[in-house]
Amino acid sequence: MTESKTKVLTKKDITDLGIRNVLLQSSFNYERMQAGGWTLSMLPALKKIYKDDKEGLSAAMTDNTEFINTHPVLVGFLMGMLLSLEENNEDRGLIRGLKIALFGPLAGIGDAILWFTLLPIVAGISASFASQGNVLGPIIFFVVYLALFIARIPITRLGYNLGTKAIGSLQERSQAISKSATILGVTVVGGLIASFVSIDVIAEIAISANNVVSIQSDFFDKIFPNILPFGYTMGMYYLLKNKKVNPTVLILITFGLAILLSLLGIL
Amino acid sequence: MDISLGQGILLSLMAVIVGIDFWLEGLFIFRPIIVSTLTGLILGDLKLGLLAGGLTELAFAGLTPAGGTQPPNPVLAGIMTTVIAYTTKTAPETSIGLALPFSFLMQYILLFYYSTFSLFMVKSDKYAAEGDTKAFTRINLIPMFIVAITYGIVVFLSTYVAQDAMRALVNSMPEWLTHGFEVAGGLLPAVGFGMLLKVMLKKQYIPYLLIGFLFASFIQYSNLLPVALIGTAIALIDYFNSKSSPAVQKGGDDYSDGI
Repeated sequence: MTESKTKVLTKKDITDLGIRNVLLQSSFNYERMQAGGWTLSMLPALKKIYKDDKEGLSAAMTDNTEFINTHPVLVGFLMGMLLSLEENNEDRGLIRGLKIALFGPLAGIGDAILWFTLLPIVAGISASFASQGNVLGPIIFFVVYLALFIARIPITRLGYNLGTKAIGSLQERSQAISKSATILGVTVVGGLIASFVSIDVIAEIAISANNVVSIQSDFFDKIFPNILPFGYTMGMYYLLKNKKVNPTVLILITFGLAILLSLLGIL
Repeated sequence: MDISLGQGILLSLMAVIVGIDFWLEGLFIFRPIIVSTLTGLILGDLKLGLLAGGLTELAFAGLTPAGGTQPPNPVLAGIMTTVIAYTTKTAPETSIGLALPFSFLMQYILLFYYSTFSLFMVKSDKYAAEGDTKAFTRINLIPMFIVAITYGIVVFLSTYVAQDAMRALVNSMPEWLTHGFEVAGGLLPAVGFGMLLKVMLKKQYIPYLLIGFLFASFIQYSNLLPVALIGTAIALIDYFNSKSSPAVQKGGDDYSDGI
């Protein structure tokens, strides 16, 4: 390790990196996952750091093209952090080790917050507008995700500015944040089940010649509305979680069941 | 209603753009709520696009590519739900079911690409070792362009070329079958929500699921914002509590199971 070199990356370089890291999955494949796109995103910065040092550049490119699978929106945090180390001419082993240690946890936080909290909320709200024919639905959705796209820049800057200090804060707060995010997400999914899964029993029971009981409106709606959607969703949850059934299989089963129950005149 | 050649081409171009977005997970314009709306705009029936978009978005809410699994394709679902409703005059609730085979088709094409694109890594390694940035950039952008072109072709064939066959198929379906598709449309979001819960739900979170469910069941409101606000309040209470007593935080979360 040598003493810190003068910084060669400008603020603009980091901003460009924030945008450019959208290429993370450009050559996604099962063998190396995001590795190609990961290196590709950082190439201009690496080129600047290793100017005439062809060997240094090729070593950095080779290291970075090893397996990685992290979160596409938050990736800038890790890229910024590791580039600040590259810039300081830190030991290759350290950079590589940190990358391997951190990409998984970062993916976990990102998936918890973005796929399992933000998406159900934004999708639920914008879909409720859209299903009334209101164009506000897709507009809300687009604006939220545009903001998230722009947030890639400050996320990348944060990683770069914090450098190795980032590791501490990442570990410290990630648990509390992802727990709160999960609570919010789970609450919204509860609401989504009640609003968007619909099961309407059309079968009726004839008690006597002129006395017909509708199973849906006279029975389920009076005892507990939405109990069937809740039950069916929890059934899917059980099969996915405990029986490890493939979601595609469940979609096909759902179709088969729906057509069968329609044929029998029950739903 | 017919899809004109111009509309077919526009739909393919849109698919190329949102297809790249799905590959990269950039702007999230690949979600059905956006894709269906744009499809509706191209077909000149915005309202239909919005209805189909709202419906398909929810059905696909839990089918996410989180953790590198490839879900049934949301782009094709968004396009075909709208297109089939438009050409065959079926309700979006029915056409969402008819759109699924297209969604599966694209899912399998992408799965095939995930495996075969591994071959590009051989050249990538070579160029990395040589420090050849230009060649490295080229070889890692090619897969993205292959994906983009595939979307364009698949969507052009599915929307413009196959529309007569599609219409014939729908017209030949008996009433119980179309109604069955409609029923399936109402049930389908349950699979998606089940997927979400598979990752998120643990014993200690069941009360929150019930709060959200009961709130939306008994207090009818036109959208889910109130539920989201209640959830935010509860989440904040928990966050501040765990901050003041760090010991509680220990047993927190691990996503080892789902992701």
